[in-house]
Amino acid sequence: MRTNVKIILGLVLLLTSTLSMSVPSIQHWQTDNGTKVYFVPTQGLPILDAQLVFSAGSSRDGDKSGVAALTSALLDQGAAGQSAQEIAEQLESVGAQLNTSTSRDFATITYRSLINKDALQTSWRLLKEVLNKPNFPLVDFKRIKERTLLGIKQREESPGTLAQLALYEEIFKGHPYANAIQGIESSLKEIQVKDLKRFYQQYYVANNLVVVLVGGISRDQAEKLVQELVVDLESGKKAQAVADVVVQLKGKSIHHEYPSQQTHLMYSMPVLKHNDPDYFPLYVGNHILGGSGFSSRIVKEIREERGLAYSAYSYFHPMMQKGPFLIGLQTRNEKVKEASAAVKQTLQEFIQQGPTEEELVAAKKNIIGGFALKLDSNKKLLGNVVGIVVSGATLDYLNSYMQKVGAVTREQITQAFQRRIKMEKMVMVTVGQSKDIKD
Amino acid sequence: MRKLSTALFILNIVYSLNSFASPEILSNMVHEKVLKNGLKVLVKEDRRAPVVVSQIWYKVGASYEHDGITGLSHVLEHMMFQGTDNLEPGEFSKIIAENGGRENAFTGADYTAYFQTMEASRLEVSMRLEAERMQNLKLQEKEFVKELQVVMEERRMRTEDKPHGQTYEYFKALAYTSSPYRNPIIGWMQDLSDMKLDDLAAWYKQWYSPNNATLVIVGDVQFGEVFKLAERYFGSIPAANFKPVKKRIEVPQVGVRRSIVKQKAKVPYLLMGYKVPVLNSVKDDADVYALEVLSGILSGGSSARLPSNLIRGTQVASSASAGYDMNARLPTLFLFDGSPVKEKNVQQLEDALLEQVAQLQTDLVEQKELDRIKAQVIASSVYEKDSNFYQGMQLGMLETVGVGWQKSDEYVDKVKGVTAEQVRAVAQQYLIEDHLTVVHMMPQEVPHED
Repeated sequence: MRTNVKIILGLVLLLTSTLSMSVPSIQHWQTDNGTKVYFVPTQGLPILDAQLVFSAGSSRDGDKSGVAALTSALLDQGAAGQSAQEIAEQLESVGAQLNTSTSRDFATITYRSLINKDALQTSWRLLKEVLNKPNFPLVDFKRIKERTLLGIKQREESPGTLAQLALYEEIFKGHPYANAIQGIESSLKEIQVKDLKRFYQQYYVANNLVVVLVGGISRDQAEKLVQELVVDLESGKKAQAVADVVVQLKGKSIHHEYPSQQTHLMYSMPVLKHNDPDYFPLYVGNHILGGSGFSSRIVKEIREERGLAYSAYSYFHPMMQKGPFLIGLQTRNEKVKEASAAVKQTLQEFIQQGPTEEELVAAKKNIIGGFALKLDSNKKLLGNVVGIVVSGATLDYLNSYMQKVGAVTREQITQAFQRRIKMEKMVMVTVGQSKDIKD
Repeated sequence: MRKLSTALFILNIVYSLNSFASPEILSNMVHEKVLKNGLKVLVKEDRRAPVVVSQIWYKVGASYEHDGITGLSHVLEHMMFQGTDNLEPGEFSKIIAENGGRENAFTGADYTAYFQTMEASRLEVSMRLEAERMQNLKLQEKEFVKELQVVMEERRMRTEDKPHGQTYEYFKALAYTSSPYRNPIIGWMQDLSDMKLDDLAAWYKQWYSPNNATLVIVGDVQFGEVFKLAERYFGSIPAANFKPVKKRIEVPQVGVRRSIVKQKAKVPYLLMGYKVPVLNSVKDDADVYALEVLSGILSGGSSARLPSNLIRGTQVASSASAGYDMNARLPTLFLFDGSPVKEKNVQQLEDALLEQVAQLQTDLVEQKELDRIKAQVIASSVYEKDSNFYQGMQLGMLETVGVGWQKSDEYVDKVKGVTAEQVRAVAQQYLIEDHLTVVHMMPQEVPHED
């Protein structure tokens, strides 16, 4: 049966057959007060999805670590004179959904609604009020702050979370990315409502906003909706770029003792900004190294060969400034030495020799053959378009995506990894009961 | 659900400025065919994108296991990727990957399911491979020894080192007496240590056959073509004779059950559950839908009662939610969980939750609360259509637990039909102290050096 099962399509055939797939085109315009708008009309479902993305993430916190996350969390907790309860009741009475979130780079409002007149009018009005007229009520501010403080305490229940925090602190030392998005207890206690209002006034402005819409509405309707949404917003200024990340000259190992059965291990350094010319070789290379589950080397070495971990992976996380390249796993405490040695050896070999031709062909088949899966729902489409526009990539990114993946060579991958991944600069963090890890 | 989306479709024609949504695209039509060997094939066409999700569901899971062999279904799921008579270990995944696919599998109390998402023309690849491992799994000692280590790591990650995970495990073991739901899906660590390759072989032989499986295909496919493919790859696999699973109905609970679970945690945590029926355990499903609405009244969104009264109102809770899985195979628990704010303790949170229950037993819920739940259910039934995977999940799960996939069509109308009186009646009938289990998770200070 094996010969039956195996269908290996030639890469050329695969490329030509999938390249003809229609890629949705992204429509773009700008409002009078400076908001950039991106729109993908879709057919088939009476839904509108939207994201409002501000350059207002925790890297803008300054000395008030946690202020960006609190500001974003308070937006829908009282606006235009309505209470959190009133806002939630109205949204939910038409089945609409509205969430706020914060990353190191961005603060995001995510919206979803049906597009019948009643639902769309009600929910869009509320979105507008939350965006334009948040009240930051004191009682809700105190409540959310207490909840955040409890969440900060709860981080200490999770060795994985502790490992990531320790890692970011080290690899981004001296940079705003080093801080936890939610802040720390001491900084949070200092924050007042006026700090949120100041943060809001500075960053929640039209010139610092990108709106992305995906759904079953017309261009005309989309233009009217966005105009209505942002017309009263101050133009303001686009936030200045966050400082460059300076990579530490020397790597190190950091261990935190924690009473868990597993040790969480992370091995990392800052590497990639959005839109980096090395992106495609590094992306395809990482797919082979540790980005594609069972087909990747790290999973083979750590899980399939040695049974050391349930989850083992590597990724590049491009950010506005250099984001981390990270290898991670968690293994029973007594095996952490073996796992750490295997990770280092796997990475070293990959940097020195790059992928095999067979691996590269397989990776390209997986990425290109699976391209359609990236775009098969409005939600995924929205996520992709947001990713493209906030990173500053060109709007035909999706159209040329497969060619760019297809063009990557073994030499490019090897060279890119050799130039960009310096093991002597990488930081290894372990959290668990493994005192003898440092050697 | 067919009725509902027709109504929505008409609304859209009236209100949207754009022309879109042909009825064909929005169709809820499910095509069913049962092959001669008993394999049930369900197909839902969705042409929005040139992709297909293929899921195969087996009627076996942790609730089919008994003491001493817990975790067997899940370990077997792992072994299904470790080689067959015609595929090397890992080759299954390699072939899916080089065809651009994404794949995985999951084990629950009532099912074990395997899935691939692929560009639509590759459906045949996934069918060939699933048919192969349905009949020709090759269980090898070397792979088993390694995979068992992997599963133990998975358990350490999900349970041993997760205070909430571990608390839930103790909670279930306290709440259930004779029901198999008392055991963890991943299995007790001791049972994992004791597991033998022979146990897996027997389990595979017992449950993996076409007449114990449902194949669910959702995406850009034509149902007739799918039936032909299914016949080609699965048609020749013989049906198996297997004994029906023992019923193992939970004995009546005759008094509240309480326990304290100490954990190396920082924030206290509360779990509560009442014994309740499910769709599969009742003839008249009115109570089940009333309980479903009740869970929405308490916890369906930010305007629901728990966020409104306990998180924002009295501010006793930092988090609080209620939930109910009406699609379980056996009677289950109506669950509450949450953490108190810093100034309050778990007992105060429990009291506050019980007060919410008492209120539901005394007063009728307001019409506007009911209307909000219904609006959310209707909207969700449209949002769900954005995901082929979710649509497949719904069909596969309902079919596998014994309810039948057709129930997915009724859901919205049944929820719409629930009255305030029914909600109060089920609160009175089921949310009673004698049927309650409560666990307080108490953080223990642990020596912690950096």
